[in-house]
Amino acid sequence: MQITFKLNKKNYSLDLQGHETLLEVIRNLLGLTGTKEACGEGECGACTVFANGKTVLSCLTLACDCDGYDILTIEGLSDGQTLHPIQEAFLEKGAVQCGFCMSGMILAAKNILDQNPLPNLEEIKKGLDGNLCRCAGYPKIFDAIEEAGKKIIKAK
Amino acid sequence: MQEFDKKFVNPVGKSVPRIDGKGLVTGQTKFAYDVQLPGMLVGKMIRSPHPHARIIKIDTTKAEALPGVKAVITAKDTGEIKFGSNEFFFPHLVDQMPLESQKVRYIGDEIGALAAIDEETAEKALKLIDVEYEILPGVFDMLEAMKPGAPQIHENVRNNINVILPVNIGNPDRLIKESDYVREDVFYCQSAAHTCMETHTCIGQYENFSNKITLWISHQAPFKVREAMAKCFKMDLNDVRVIKLATGGGFGGKLEMLPMDFASCVLSKKAGGFPVKIAYTREEEFTCSRRKHNMIYKLKSGVKKDGTLMGMTGEVIADGGAYCSYGPTLLASTIMRIFMTYQIKHLRITGYRVYTNTPISGAIRGFGGVQSGFAVESHMDLLAQGIGMDPAEFRLKNITTPNMVAANKMVISSNGLKECIETSMNASDWKNKRGKQSHLHRGIGMGIAGDVMGSKMYKAHESSGGIVKVEEDCSIYFFTGASDTGQGSNTALSQIVAQELGVSYSRMKCISADTAITPFDTGSFASRVTFIAGNGALLAARDAKEQILKIVAQDLHLDIKDLDIQAEEVIMLSTKKNIMSFEKAVKLCYSFNYGHQILGRGSFNPQTSPVDFRTGEGNVSASYSFESQIAEVEVNTKDGKITVLKLWDSHDVGKAINPSSVESQIEGSLAMGLGYVFSEDLKFENGRCANANFEGYRIPRSVDIPPMETLLIETIDPQGPYGAKGMGEAALLPTAAAIANAVEDAVGIRLKELPFTPDKVLKALKEKYGEDINL
Repeated sequence: MQITFKLNKKNYSLDLQGHETLLEVIRNLLGLTGTKEACGEGECGACTVFANGKTVLSCLTLACDCDGYDILTIEGLSDGQTLHPIQEAFLEKGAVQCGFCMSGMILAAKNILDQNPLPNLEEIKKGLDGNLCRCAGYPKIFDAIEEAGKKIIKAK
Repeated sequence: MQEFDKKFVNPVGKSVPRIDGKGLVTGQTKFAYDVQLPGMLVGKMIRSPHPHARIIKIDTTKAEALPGVKAVITAKDTGEIKFGSNEFFFPHLVDQMPLESQKVRYIGDEIGALAAIDEETAEKALKLIDVEYEILPGVFDMLEAMKPGAPQIHENVRNNINVILPVNIGNPDRLIKESDYVREDVFYCQSAAHTCMETHTCIGQYENFSNKITLWISHQAPFKVREAMAKCFKMDLNDVRVIKLATGGGFGGKLEMLPMDFASCVLSKKAGGFPVKIAYTREEEFTCSRRKHNMIYKLKSGVKKDGTLMGMTGEVIADGGAYCSYGPTLLASTIMRIFMTYQIKHLRITGYRVYTNTPISGAIRGFGGVQSGFAVESHMDLLAQGIGMDPAEFRLKNITTPNMVAANKMVISSNGLKECIETSMNASDWKNKRGKQSHLHRGIGMGIAGDVMGSKMYKAHESSGGIVKVEEDCSIYFFTGASDTGQGSNTALSQIVAQELGVSYSRMKCISADTAITPFDTGSFASRVTFIAGNGALLAARDAKEQILKIVAQDLHLDIKDLDIQAEEVIMLSTKKNIMSFEKAVKLCYSFNYGHQILGRGSFNPQTSPVDFRTGEGNVSASYSFESQIAEVEVNTKDGKITVLKLWDSHDVGKAINPSSVESQIEGSLAMGLGYVFSEDLKFENGRCANANFEGYRIPRSVDIPPMETLLIETIDPQGPYGAKGMGEAALLPTAAAIANAVEDAVGIRLKELPFTPDKVLKALKEKYGEDINL
């Protein structure tokens, strides 16, 4: 099955068997290992990516359903020169421990801030409900998202 | 040469960003789970579907014949060598084989492994393995397992009792008799899972002719894995290279060699040297790694009217699951902790660790301290209540002090426990809240805890070494054996090196936990890394600095004793004048005249002693850390839900090398504590895990996190690097008791069985107030 999609601003044309998940294609076929798998059942959010501007769980998404899509993974978030304000804020606020949930967490953060760059704590918590972190216990992630929103507004 | 960053001069005490942070936030860091090597095969473990059975025959021929299958192994290939994590002090308790040959003892027990060209083929091959078992009756409850006539899980182990630890100090019976108030309580603690976000993963490669093994791994203790691998392969230590990659969490679950580690290398050997990757599924992670010991804690104590804690007796029964793992040390750890916090001179508690046909219990953050924390700290509140004393006052009367030797011979030096209690009381407005909010169904409760920083229970020594390599361009490598599993040790250790060397942290790079190139370290456990590896780092940096200063002194005909490097400058101590920049000094070392490579080395081994298992005496850690935790809760008497309004954790960390990292450790630990209190309950039905996924086993989510306030108390420990102590584990120890104590303050019920689910709250309310709960 032939599909094409845009991933991190590059066009890809792939010949798939049909059963591959988007996660398998991103990690195994395209070698972009920033997107993680931590449960494979859509319960942890580690595999979160953007597809056509919305976050999806790539472990539950069939790659062949993404024909013509515009996909963004953690590798495409920054411009390659400077960190994205969310990445900067996560570092500054000490929101990272082991980092295995980070790619999903940062993209979930982007989803929150895309809708509202000045979210309140409840909105942040609700927006992260599907993303599990076992190390940091979340408070510093909440702070980082708040800070990132401010950075994004300032940059505009 | 890069300009150094002035912000990061004198980095100790500053919340500098993680040394590995950029890789982690951009997805560039490679975890073991991400590794792909040329020719790499997919490995899978062959597991028992039965909780207890004798292996009659294993037929692997059909699987071997499947195209794409490259190797199948059983105990015939691995031999019958036994390994165990407490082997050094307890060689007689070693009870697990890399692959079992005679019997299986839990659902998931490893009897073989296979490697194939891809996941699909490997899965298909697993279904073609024919095993003939003789099913044996299983025993799943620890009390049942201890009864005479219960199915025997290991040969020659009476009543399935794996370990007995009789702690017997002083004369508690007499002291309890002399008390004004005596009470007895029983507490129940459930099992739980680590749920590291990255599952157990390893890639093993065996080079047949050079007789060399390389294992890439997601782990907390690669040197421990190396030791066990070398033993099982009958190889030298330096034939085995274990390389820890970025590791997605550990929490005690990645602290032992597992059969998968050994199997991946045997499979590679059999498959002609191709690397074999074995990555646990989330279900395997829940059922076949390690789990928390569920425990029953019985405590009886006596107190005087003035609040003096007289004596305590008790019994601890811990469900060890199918094998020994860290059984003996865990038992010691759960019982002995009381001596860190309370001046108790008369105590007799006997601990039993019991085998059952369930997954193996092992180390998990707190190492038995969560269970004892719940039992002891709940019991203390009840004792205070019995004599009508404020529980905070009761604790302040009985706690340990700085510079004392406890009755079990623990040597306590710096001790900020009193300050922790007082600070947490002030921050939470304890005096105005305690006992005064029951009309709102609100209450406030306290728990305290102590923790080790290292443990003299695993080897003859527990040293950690470091090497500081100053390059010609003034960039600096620090090599350490310590494993950063996400807690940030590479960052904290690099801060210590930069501080001691007198340079900016921006010059640092850290290479850690590769058994072939970094110095030895026993591993990341027992909150030991900042303290022990930190001292190794400090000594290595000091050595490097002396080498630089020696050349400066020689070149300028100065006295080396009068020289130091501070804030990027070589200074003369007597005149406080700058002599030359650090960069110039390094240039001098690598100049035409000198050509001296700066390679500083350090090794630190704390002066400690193991616990004597006949008496319970010993000083396992060189220093101890302390905390006080306060929880404020509101109880909904209609639906039984407990809402935590806020947590305060006041923590004696010695010195916060990186305050933001320290806070983050405390917050993460508190979240884990909350999970254990309210929702995490690893359940088994006839030995089968009933909730091996994130839906059935709920860990805290963003929406579950209450406001948390961390209060750092810096006591500057005389032995700690810059005064720092270990602190990674302690924060979750008193959480359950603090909440139970707050619930009693709120609505007058006493919860003694974890987790605190709404049905238990409603049942307790009903028992106390009858059907009509109009509090």
